[in-house]
Amino acid sequence: MTDPTFGAETAYRAADHLRKTSLAGTWDVFGEKAERFEIHLNGTKREMVRGPVRIEGIGLRVLRPVDGQLGIGFAATSDRSAESLSRAVQDAEAAARYSRFPAAHVELPAAAPNAGPVDSVDRGAWAKPLESLNAYVHELVSAFEGRHGVVPSFGSVHLTLGESTLANSAGLEHRASRTLVDVEVAVKAFGGPEGRPPGEYWVVGHSVRLDPSNVRSDVETWCQRAKDVRVAKSPTAGEQTVVIPPRALADVLPDILSFRLSGAAQLRGMAPKPGETIGAEPISIWDDGTLPFALGTATADDEGHAQSRRRLVHAGRAEATLYDVLHGGASQVPSTGNGRRDILSYPDWERFSHAPGPMATTLVVGTGDVATDAELAEVAGEGIWLDQLGYAFPDALSGAYGGEIRIGYRIHRGKITEPLRGGTIGGLVVAGTGERSLLNSVVAMGSRAELMPHLSCPTLVVEKMGVGGAD
Amino acid sequence: MSGLRDSEDAVTRALGRIAPNTSYAEAMAERSDGLRLRLDRSQTSLGVDPRLEGAVFRAWAGDEWVEAASSGLDAASLTATADALRSHLGAKAKSTPPPGISATGSGERQTHAKRPVAALSPEERLEIARRMSETAKSVGGIHDVIVTLVGQTEERLFVSTAGARRWQQIERTRAAVVPIAMENGKVEYDYVSLGGTGGLEVLDGLTDDEIVRTAKEAKALLMAGSAPTGSMNVILDPGTAGTFAHESFGHGTEADQLLRDRSYLKPLLGEMVGPEFLTLVDDGSYPQGWGSVFFDDEGHPSQRTVLVDHGKFVSVLHDRESAAFFGRTATGNTRRADFLSRPFVRMTNTFVEPGDWSLDELVKEAKDGLLLQNCTSGIEDPLGGQMQIKVKKARRIVHGELGAVGPSMALSGKVLDFLKGIRGVGRADVFGIFPGSCGKGHTDLIPAGTGGSYLLSHAVVGPA
Repeated sequence: MTDPTFGAETAYRAADHLRKTSLAGTWDVFGEKAERFEIHLNGTKREMVRGPVRIEGIGLRVLRPVDGQLGIGFAATSDRSAESLSRAVQDAEAAARYSRFPAAHVELPAAAPNAGPVDSVDRGAWAKPLESLNAYVHELVSAFEGRHGVVPSFGSVHLTLGESTLANSAGLEHRASRTLVDVEVAVKAFGGPEGRPPGEYWVVGHSVRLDPSNVRSDVETWCQRAKDVRVAKSPTAGEQTVVIPPRALADVLPDILSFRLSGAAQLRGMAPKPGETIGAEPISIWDDGTLPFALGTATADDEGHAQSRRRLVHAGRAEATLYDVLHGGASQVPSTGNGRRDILSYPDWERFSHAPGPMATTLVVGTGDVATDAELAEVAGEGIWLDQLGYAFPDALSGAYGGEIRIGYRIHRGKITEPLRGGTIGGLVVAGTGERSLLNSVVAMGSRAELMPHLSCPTLVVEKMGVGGAD
Repeated sequence: MSGLRDSEDAVTRALGRIAPNTSYAEAMAERSDGLRLRLDRSQTSLGVDPRLEGAVFRAWAGDEWVEAASSGLDAASLTATADALRSHLGAKAKSTPPPGISATGSGERQTHAKRPVAALSPEERLEIARRMSETAKSVGGIHDVIVTLVGQTEERLFVSTAGARRWQQIERTRAAVVPIAMENGKVEYDYVSLGGTGGLEVLDGLTDDEIVRTAKEAKALLMAGSAPTGSMNVILDPGTAGTFAHESFGHGTEADQLLRDRSYLKPLLGEMVGPEFLTLVDDGSYPQGWGSVFFDDEGHPSQRTVLVDHGKFVSVLHDRESAAFFGRTATGNTRRADFLSRPFVRMTNTFVEPGDWSLDELVKEAKDGLLLQNCTSGIEDPLGGQMQIKVKKARRIVHGELGAVGPSMALSGKVLDFLKGIRGVGRADVFGIFPGSCGKGHTDLIPAGTGGSYLLSHAVVGPA
């Protein structure tokens, strides 16, 4: 089955023009055409309907040999006229004269991967975007009906249909479609005889499918969290065992690991050497660009290389690195298919405006052997079950992360007990052997992985984490 | 790419296709581009920002707003977008007026940069960046230095069926120097960053002394032990005080949050929320402010709005809809991230007005605690009134003296408790507005300036 398509020729038209105007040397052009539909809620009332919101543009990259290195020029534009393309060529060539990258030579792929389409498109949503969006929002709003003391205070659902095209000087032409769903909901709990201030649970989710089937159970969870916020207590300060589920890890791990395990970090002397310990023995991590319906999944990366599953960390030791064409060239190895134009922290639909760089697709953390949440709490004994950080601010350079506990739960005598809120939690994600870090301090792992944006991961039990609180 | 005003006729004609079907419609057309330079030890990247152009149309559908947008300012794209929007408009759209008062004024304003980045040759831009890098490296033991220099131009045209016409062109310049120290696999850095509306003149404070001081701090952070945690006296540096004003307090003053009954501040309007020497302001007209605009995206002029006046919470920020609901006037705070994004009530430059304490006096007053420096992030909690602010470094205060620097920390606690606990605000000589990026929810990032002077209060701090 082929993917649905707009029939966009964005990059192909630009490439034809470049060939006709005899653009010499190595270059590639990435085109993107996207349509977005949005519904914004004020409570359960529709506040604004947006769509279609359309964007189409190209990103042109030229790679020029200069003094034994490469001069890289990149220019992007949403103006598809011939004049604008000519100006993009001038801008890119001018940039290449002054930019320097430490690779002597790179080769762009000449042909697209043979693999068939992967599961990265919600076909139903593509076929009927507005109807699908309306149905989803209807389900979302309906899920709050009949509930007392909980309402959505605001929310929005965005559905984006995107089609990228890629062409290069080696003759490659590649087309890919994708759907992107962004859901943001804030649930407010209020009222009651106790007179407490209202509480809010605020969730943001990204996926490729507009699937209403889990909305009711999600809303049930969100409402409970919002109620828990109202009665939450401050955590106790000090070093504690913290159980971190995938939804909290997704705010921390991808940004830091995607950089630290990449050719970009290697070039700056910040990547672990092969065999170097960066995590506890149970930690193994893969990069997998083929996981069905994952945000990072595609037939090819944004430079035209096939996607695969590769082990990056084995039994706590670094094993492999993420490369795009340029960083592979700097290390004289081929691209690993990790040339991407995304922004990890939030899914971007203007990818043409970014030059490719080395980046993870979906990081897959291997599972452990603890079957249930109750057993994970039992392993922890005493500590905190962390549900959500305010903002983890994962710092790729230093490897640090941390923030306020928006909602968590105390673990007491091996049981999940009262809700917690406030205080802070944080530290380093990766550090050398013997140093305190999240990955070094994992003592147990759940046996089930959950797919999050750019991360598939089980719940981790991490000991001796720094917790800041009022006492 | 020609000037945006060249596309005005096409935009107006497209708007005219919607006008017969609604009581009110507007269009915002935008063009943006810029120059960007990044230098580090492994590579030099000098190029242009994406050249993006397009238009968004908004119309009142009788009971909700509807919008459509598209890249491209050619007549065909604009017509298709306008027609797509028109198809959403039923009979109610014509008979029911939108909430609030529509802007009607016209005007043209633009930034007059004294030393525009675009006037520099590539060699001159590279020379500036290399000099900054070499200055940082002159401090021994610096592993790498990341230098960025950005000059951006944003042109917007707003027209409406109520007769408004506003054109503005804003130039923003920003630079950052990030010295990185590294030892045994541990990486630490510090940063210094300045930016504003204008040209290179907004970077005049980015002196060699400042860069050397930052590089030394990066080295010191590598050796820093852990900082104390718990509830204690804290002094926020001017940038962190600004982030407090913006994230912790300011988001709760965006009146769309009040309309949603989603602000802990709503019942406190008119009440004392802080000491009498505390004044908090949002000012979209602040000269050279990073978040300054001439007009907002509903066509209203930007303005200074005092939020907290000598401790009393006196005003909130309005778009046309919230202004109508609360019986106020719009405050020029309706902003879109770009032509692809929806409008919201947003802040511009939000800051704490300076007071009369020197840093030495604040440190002595604190006696013991932490000086929190170089804010890296903050997040709002408009309903719960909790705060989270993260800083790159925290310096100990011991017996009224500044001590050793410590690693990144997070500040948490209740905003109202923090406000009531403020014991002093620093003088104007260290006041500054710093460049930042603000999201509304998880996206819609806009340039937002945050600033202030030093500020002493009490909060919970912990590892981050």
